[in-house]
Amino acid sequence: MLNSGSRIWPIATNTVREAVRHRLLYTLLFFAVTMIGFSVLIASLSYVEGERIIQDVGLASIRLFSVGIAIFVGIGLIHGEVERRTIYTILAKPVTRSEFLLGKFLGLLLTVWLQLCLMAIAFVAVSVLVGAGLDLGYVAAMLLVGVELMVIVAVATLFSSFTTPMLAAFFTLGIYALGHLSRDLYSLGQASDVPAVKQAATLLYRALPDLESFNLSTQAVHGVAISGAEVGWASLYGVAYSIALLILASFIFHRRDLE
Amino acid sequence: MVWLAAAVLAVLATDALHTRLPPSGGASRQMGFVPDPDLAKVLSLGFGAVLADFYWLQAIQAAGGDVRITPELGDHLGRLIDLVTTLNPRVDHPYRFAAIWMTASEQNVRTANRLLARGIEYHPDEWRNYFYLGFNHFFYLLENDRAAEWLDRASRLPGAPRYLPRLAARLKSESAEIEVAAVFLQEMLNTSQDDVAKEGYRAALDEIEVEQSARLLDGARARFQDRNGRDLRTVEELVAGESAVLRTLPAAEPLALPSALRRGSTWVLDPVSDRIVSTYYGKRYRLHVGESDRQRAEGWAEERRIRERVQGMEGSRGETRHEPSNHDR
Repeated sequence: MLNSGSRIWPIATNTVREAVRHRLLYTLLFFAVTMIGFSVLIASLSYVEGERIIQDVGLASIRLFSVGIAIFVGIGLIHGEVERRTIYTILAKPVTRSEFLLGKFLGLLLTVWLQLCLMAIAFVAVSVLVGAGLDLGYVAAMLLVGVELMVIVAVATLFSSFTTPMLAAFFTLGIYALGHLSRDLYSLGQASDVPAVKQAATLLYRALPDLESFNLSTQAVHGVAISGAEVGWASLYGVAYSIALLILASFIFHRRDLE
Repeated sequence: MVWLAAAVLAVLATDALHTRLPPSGGASRQMGFVPDPDLAKVLSLGFGAVLADFYWLQAIQAAGGDVRITPELGDHLGRLIDLVTTLNPRVDHPYRFAAIWMTASEQNVRTANRLLARGIEYHPDEWRNYFYLGFNHFFYLLENDRAAEWLDRASRLPGAPRYLPRLAARLKSESAEIEVAAVFLQEMLNTSQDDVAKEGYRAALDEIEVEQSARLLDGARARFQDRNGRDLRTVEELVAGESAVLRTLPAAEPLALPSALRRGSTWVLDPVSDRIVSTYYGKRYRLHVGESDRQRAEGWAEERRIRERVQGMEGSRGETRHEPSNHDR
């Protein structure tokens, strides 16, 4: 296990180095920070609840651009290595395909968490500047954005392990949308009189990532109490879902013909 | 050099074309498309709060400035605020914004009441939502009992003014209507953050002040008739000569009126209504804000009675179609 860790870590750090050279990362980060700053202008159009609007827009920008970075940087993870043929050099060493995949996943996750921290700093700075309140609820919300990003990176890793970047982006975006719709799909299914539809809706709800469980932005902005259990269970769920996805990705990647 | 000239030419041409385009856009006051709230909630993909902010800004744009409050505008605002509060029901001010602006028809007021009820569901400790609901029942719908119920509930919440139980009791007794209206309006003025609405409340309070003076004069006129066995020829007779019943006449203009706007108004006997009126307003006050008044509220009540009668007849014919009543709030 220790040996495995020592093999995964260099791949992860290398992936971070590679990702931070990605121009797209900076472009999206720039837009995110600009949007957070721009929220002050947007809020000035309202004569009430301006601080709430600033924080709504700020948190939405963080979530939107973080997911954008996770997807569009993540989809090329494996494909780039195969195209540059560097994957053969790595796999020629005593590194298993699972370790390679895990290293790539961790590297990208660290990158998106790093940019999440930068966006959070911008968010806090703007909130402090306009005198908007900040409490532990925001920490909880931000923490769960991080967990949601972990799940999205795992989804991107899964798709990039067997398909082209274009298709991987398409599939990951689809899973992201369905992940936010899964609760509504479930409710719709349960309202049906047809048992098969109910079962299918339940199955979909169980299989798709329940991404709404990581969305505490509104509660944080409105000062609604967020329990530690809520954050804890959602985090555990996110970790478990990501592990399941990585096992599946590893299984597929082991069988993939890289020639 | 040629490239530079071409670039300048292109910029100038684009600008010239741009100036020909109509300036109004999506964020204008035009009553544009408002999506179905439930569908928008589903499709917001977790970004409901920020989408709600977008439509909230649209609502402010639609209502802001010197815009005339019409039933159509009320309907549009109702759809927008319904959307805003479906996407993010935890918002606070939009519920009361609906109550302020949706007053031009009974349907508008009922919709605003439904939105306020949603606000109460999500902010059960916010007394102002109960208060506004009470105000709507009292002022626009002439439903004093229901108004009293909401005020009663508001009075038990933290931060509620101490006079609310008294106000509720007076509503139940159906007396001193104009004083009740004054208290309501003063509170709306104190709590509202909307400058245009505040101006409306101030104007109504000024009018109530002058009406209270006119009622004082009505009483003096009755005493004058008793004493002299005849009616007034001029209002000045109330304070002139041996038959005077008052020492001075009250101001015929609102006291808070800036001196620049004072017109030296007086009290006169209106030849049409034969009532004492201030030349400042030229008519006696009837309970109202903006265009809604008792007559309109009574008109709404009559329409409702007819509608219910027709529905009752349809029901007795055994028709199965049933429309839920919107009068439950």
